[in-house]
Amino acid sequence: MSGKLKVAVVCSSNQNRSMEAHAVLSKKGYNVKSFGTGANCKLPGSAPDKPNIYDFRTTYEEMYRDLESKDKQLYTRNGILSMLDRNRRIKQRPERFQNSKEKFDIVVTAEERVYDQVIEDFNTREEDSGEPVHVINIEIMDNHEEATLGAFTILKLCQLLEGCTDLERDIDEKILKFERESNRDILHTICFY
Amino acid sequence: MDEDSTTADMAEGINTSDRVIDLINQTHLLTKDSQKIANLKHVQELIVHKDPTLLDNFLDEVLQFQHDKSADVRKFVVGFIEEACKKDNDMLCSVIPHLNLMLSDAAQHVAVIKKVILCSMQLYRVALKWLVNARTFGEEMEAVWDQIQEIKRKVFIMLDSENDGIRTHSTKYMESLILVESARIQGSEIPKKPEADMSLDQIPEEHGLLKRDELEKDGLHGFELLLDLLASPSITSVNLMACMGSLTTIAKQRPQFMPRVIQAFETLHVNLPPTLAKSQVSSVRKHLKMQLLNLLKHPSSVSLHSNITTLLTDLGASEAEIAKNTPKVRESFKRPR
Repeated sequence: MSGKLKVAVVCSSNQNRSMEAHAVLSKKGYNVKSFGTGANCKLPGSAPDKPNIYDFRTTYEEMYRDLESKDKQLYTRNGILSMLDRNRRIKQRPERFQNSKEKFDIVVTAEERVYDQVIEDFNTREEDSGEPVHVINIEIMDNHEEATLGAFTILKLCQLLEGCTDLERDIDEKILKFERESNRDILHTICFY
Repeated sequence: MDEDSTTADMAEGINTSDRVIDLINQTHLLTKDSQKIANLKHVQELIVHKDPTLLDNFLDEVLQFQHDKSADVRKFVVGFIEEACKKDNDMLCSVIPHLNLMLSDAAQHVAVIKKVILCSMQLYRVALKWLVNARTFGEEMEAVWDQIQEIKRKVFIMLDSENDGIRTHSTKYMESLILVESARIQGSEIPKKPEADMSLDQIPEEHGLLKRDELEKDGLHGFELLLDLLASPSITSVNLMACMGSLTTIAKQRPQFMPRVIQAFETLHVNLPPTLAKSQVSSVRKHLKMQLLNLLKHPSSVSLHSNITTLLTDLGASEAEIAKNTPKVRESFKRPR
């Protein structure tokens, strides 16, 4: 692939779904960045009502050390430590989509709420250049298995779109094809920088 | 001391000039697009930002690259043109004919055409401000204005292009054109960036070159074209959403268009294009809901709230969502009852 498409993958906390996709896409040579749209980064804790909450300035390394010291056995068993280990090898810390000034061709979101937040953010930003960006939602449940499957689905989508000689002319058709092949319902809209 | 610093400035100017010559010569010899663009970016940094007095000297040298065989390099040149004109408005005289030519070139790459449309959109605003502030008008200025009008007529036609991407970009151009060619009124949302704030009322009634009534007529024509596009049965879901977004922006910044926009959304809601697939219908309905929630928040939509809320309810908005986006002023009307 040429790596020309600039892709952002976005989930809530920039930990699991977006980072899995980030890992898969960058291995395949895509020009990819990942983000979260939440106010904070949430990771599962010792009970459903006791999540570990970090702000976006915290590095993956610091989160890793924090959870390792809290309960190494629990966070090894539930895969959080290996996820953080994977993440810290990709980049230093999670990034919040709303704080990013970078421009992308495609923004792929991992759930409808995140899609809404991304669009809301574009509506709030003042448009400048008028360059288009396609926002596409693929529903992915927030667990390790679904994140793995979801990342490959996002890769398939990117492969289809990367092959377009004229993205805007072809994108409608490509997304319909992708929907049929992946048997998923896709939300897709266009926003502007 | 002053003399020293002037000498130093001159020396630096010569150095910058030599550096630019060197970079341009190198660029001609390069084969990789990315390297060419990196070099030209460096040139842009030097002559647009670091020492704009050099811009006039080197403009033609950079414009030569509009004939480069790489579409990415040609796109870069269009971006350079935009930056140069924003920095020094007088550059418009030299570059607008180039943009007009690129737009007419049937063999031109579609990506370059799209970039030219967006650049022309920005420069239309820049040119209007420049002409409004000009004290005298030479032939050159008149020629620029004629060329800009020619570009405008071409984009009007492109709104009906067979290429959906060109239609999307033309829609954005129309949005900007309608904003510029209509008056700001009470309730108009004003862009935060001063360069984006241009409206018909900022043009003097008796202007030597700009005719307000003609511009207004063009703006209204553009608005009708966007409404036609929204009602087109063959429009793609992407362009339908782009068009909805543009109409929402227009209604917020020019509330005189609010009733027509809401009416058009009502018609669209019951007449979605039959060509849309099921998921596209979901995306379009969701997009429409977002636009309406945005309009509901706007103080100038108060008299249309019942139309907007009926539409929103049909689109699945909850009462809580509607209440959250309804401005508080409405609550104060309710209190005395």
